[in-house]
Amino acid sequence: MIEIKNLQKAYKGITAVNIDSLEINAGEVIGLVGNNGAGKTTFFRLILDLIRANSGEILSKGKLVTATEDWKSYTAAYIDDGFLIDYLTPEEYFYFVGKLNALSNADVDDFLKNYTAFFDDSILKKGKYIRDFSKGNQFKIGIIAALLTDPELLILDEPFANLDPTTQLRLVDMIKEMAVKKQMCIIVSSHDINHVSEVSSRILLMEKGKIIKDIAGGEAAYEEMVEYFKVKTA
Amino acid sequence: MTISVFLGHQWRSFWRARNANKSLLLQIILGIFYFLIFLEIAGLGVALPFLLKEKMPDKDPVALFCSYIIYYFLIGLLFRFQLQELPSLSIQPYLTQNIKRRSMLRFLNVRSLIHVINFLPLFVFIPFTVVVIAPAYGTLAAIAFLVAMVSLVLNNHFFNMYIKRKSINSIGWLIGIVLIIAALKGLDYLKVLSFENTSSKIFVSFLHHPLLCILPVALAIATFILNNNYLRSHLYIEELTSNRKLKVSKNYTFLNKYGDIGEIISLDLKLIFRNKRPKSLIILSSVILFYGFIFYPQYLRTGNFTVLFLFALLITGMFITNYGQFLFAWQSSHFDGMMSYNINMKQYIKAKFLLFVVVCSLQFLIASFYGFMDWHILPIQLAAFLYSIGVNSFITIYAATYNYKYINLTKSATMNFQGIGGTQWLQSLSIAFGPAVIFYLLFRFIGFWAAIIAFCSVGIGGLIFNDMLINWLAGQFNIRKHKILEGFRER
Repeated sequence: MIEIKNLQKAYKGITAVNIDSLEINAGEVIGLVGNNGAGKTTFFRLILDLIRANSGEILSKGKLVTATEDWKSYTAAYIDDGFLIDYLTPEEYFYFVGKLNALSNADVDDFLKNYTAFFDDSILKKGKYIRDFSKGNQFKIGIIAALLTDPELLILDEPFANLDPTTQLRLVDMIKEMAVKKQMCIIVSSHDINHVSEVSSRILLMEKGKIIKDIAGGEAAYEEMVEYFKVKTA
Repeated sequence: MTISVFLGHQWRSFWRARNANKSLLLQIILGIFYFLIFLEIAGLGVALPFLLKEKMPDKDPVALFCSYIIYYFLIGLLFRFQLQELPSLSIQPYLTQNIKRRSMLRFLNVRSLIHVINFLPLFVFIPFTVVVIAPAYGTLAAIAFLVAMVSLVLNNHFFNMYIKRKSINSIGWLIGIVLIIAALKGLDYLKVLSFENTSSKIFVSFLHHPLLCILPVALAIATFILNNNYLRSHLYIEELTSNRKLKVSKNYTFLNKYGDIGEIISLDLKLIFRNKRPKSLIILSSVILFYGFIFYPQYLRTGNFTVLFLFALLITGMFITNYGQFLFAWQSSHFDGMMSYNINMKQYIKAKFLLFVVVCSLQFLIASFYGFMDWHILPIQLAAFLYSIGVNSFITIYAATYNYKYINLTKSATMNFQGIGGTQWLQSLSIAFGPAVIFYLLFRFIGFWAAIIAFCSVGIGGLIFNDMLINWLAGQFNIRKHKILEGFRER
């Protein structure tokens, strides 16, 4: 799905991302972990061709993300509120994203019906523009809009940080299910090592732009991460 | 905490705002620009009596001046509705600090006073009082007159603040005041009741009985207290901002059949109508439609077709320049999203171009009514229109790919130079004056029709090759895409 070769990005001489080689496959749930400044968000932006790398390549399904726009049709992401069109109502926003992916308003309505529990009756038909919602609810809108397009590659930046506990747990289940059922490739970054070790089939630990650990998800990964971050604090 | 600390913070927030300090040259140019405007207005104050005398020699200029004061304040109120904002959000960080409510109120009141609209009238009233009233009626009368005028300005100011705070939308008030002005003027016109006379009588009486100026002072104090009391009991952020209306989802069905392009255009329309800054630009563009009434007749009389063409360019193409200079920057707050949604760049640029064409055509159709003034207007406007959509639109899109500055949509447009750099100024100038010079040369040395046909055909040429041009523009955009994104992320 994603193939990375000698990727480097530096800001004013300080390395933000430096990945020699990395391959991510369909059906994998990648948990991206690392302290602030490790380069997680920069890495995401590079995959989405939102920033230009100093050197190296990112191939999405074998094609350079910098050279074609093909990846846009099967990639969905939510990084921050810079992805939300905040003067629209949530419905308008969903319809807009849906239209761009050839979904009619009725299709979108059908899709949204599956997420009534996720929205907890605080998003739809509220008569508010997105800019007037709380951060947590904006995040929900962003995540659902990303899922709406039924992507093959899904990128979520710290989705757990802004959600309430119920929604966090729900999202954990959703991510696991999507990866299995739809063979989706999902990349999630998080500071919550608990959730991330639960959802991920593979965990990448970043430090100063480098991937220093590449391990399988699960209980053992949790222990390993606790060890790593403990050492950091000591 | 004294008020000077608050104002000090505001001062810093003004100068430390992003993009505020970038170019010293731009600051200087703007400074000179403002200075000239103020000078002109002050000059108007001095020249006014002479102008009045020249137009209507049989009347007393002071009485004449006074007869319009009532209209001045009513129209001033209209402008205030549009231009003035409540400075309420600026106190948000202070609400939880150990600060007395009283000093916060004082800050809000003083802060709101700092606005051009409160200073501009002084530039008219002070010179007028000093030059005309003082010699004729004496110093005391002059002071009384000035006190009365300043009080009325303050009264207008706090009245507007009060209305804006209290009512959810000031549209009702807006319409109400327009109707009042129309009614007063109508009654004057039909000679039923003369409010101009009444206005004149009232304000001239201040000159004869200076003590009467206590009345407007009392009025100003009353409005101030009204506003202040309301504020004191509503010092909560959610009550200070006046945005409690239910928002409705909209679907521009007529755009549905154009697929993705229609979708992007309807997004732009929503952007324009739901955000303060682009909305005021639209209002400005429609006001410019009326320029023809003011400027066309005199240049028609002298047969100065070049200037007519210049105004036709403004009238038919103002939207392109106004909206187009920030074409991408309007979406800067969600440009990361725009660049990762499933949108093809060529379609994106094409949608922007079509938006220009649609709005411009609308302006052109409305402006065609000027043809009743003189048939020459029609070919001139047609040439200007075709040139605007066929050439200027592409130049504007090209220039927009060099605009890397973030724009906050919710800030009002008046005196807002966020996102404006030297290129934007150069561009606005070249887009209007360059063609005017060429028009002049063609008109002068070959003839009227040569100039018209030349501009029409260049415009049509641009339209014919629009696909190629859009392709090229999409390429240009892609070259600078990352730079644009980076700039927009910097807020």
